Amino acid sequence: MEMTEKIEETAREISARVKPQLEEAKRRMESLNTSAVAYIKENPGKCLVGAVAIGFLIGKIASRRG
Amino acid sequence: METRPDNPPNGRAAIGDGAKKLGKKMEKVGHTAEQVWDRTRDSVSDLGTALDVKGRVERHPYGTVAAAVGIGYVLGGGLFTPLTASIVRLGVRIGMRLAVLPLLKQEMAELMETIEDEDGKSKGQGSKTTAKRTRGEEP
Repeated sequence: MEMTEKIEETAREISARVKPQLEEAKRRMESLNTSAVAYIKENPGKCLVGAVAIGFLIGKIASRRG
Repeated sequence: METRPDNPPNGRAAIGDGAKKLGKKMEKVGHTAEQVWDRTRDSVSDLGTALDVKGRVERHPYGTVAAAVGIGYVLGGGLFTPLTASIVRLGVRIGMRLAVLPLLKQEMAELMETIEDEDGKSKGQGSKTTAKRTRGEEP
């Protein structure tokens, strides 16, 4: 019984310690996502040209290695 | 000395004619370039309207960017490379898992139900048998 209680307590402690960090990370990811989407919507041309350029570079590197 | 009206002795008139011709040609070239620019601009705007780039970006921002990366990748010559093969393999593996897992889950659930039913039936029969035995009857 003691062992089970100890394990439960440890699990509770870990959860209490990790939960705020996880929530903070989630909040940050959400804010990053929102700002990224807003930037893409505001500057579609820039983003698409940049994406094509990045893809082109990756393709070049891949074709050289292959 | 004889002088021709179309060939003046000092050559100034000839230079003037040449300059005029050059000016006209330059004007023509400029006009043509303007027309080409207008047509190109119209074509680009038509293409933009047809593809509805802005609308697509509004609806699926990440998808459009990913598609642009893919177009760049193909243009960069990365289509027939080992990297593409490994990406396709990974995609197929993930897709198969996503497609097969629900089916497997369903099969497992049905199997479990069948086993539970059979187990319940056998238990019922077993309890009847024990009841008969306690009453002293033959099974």
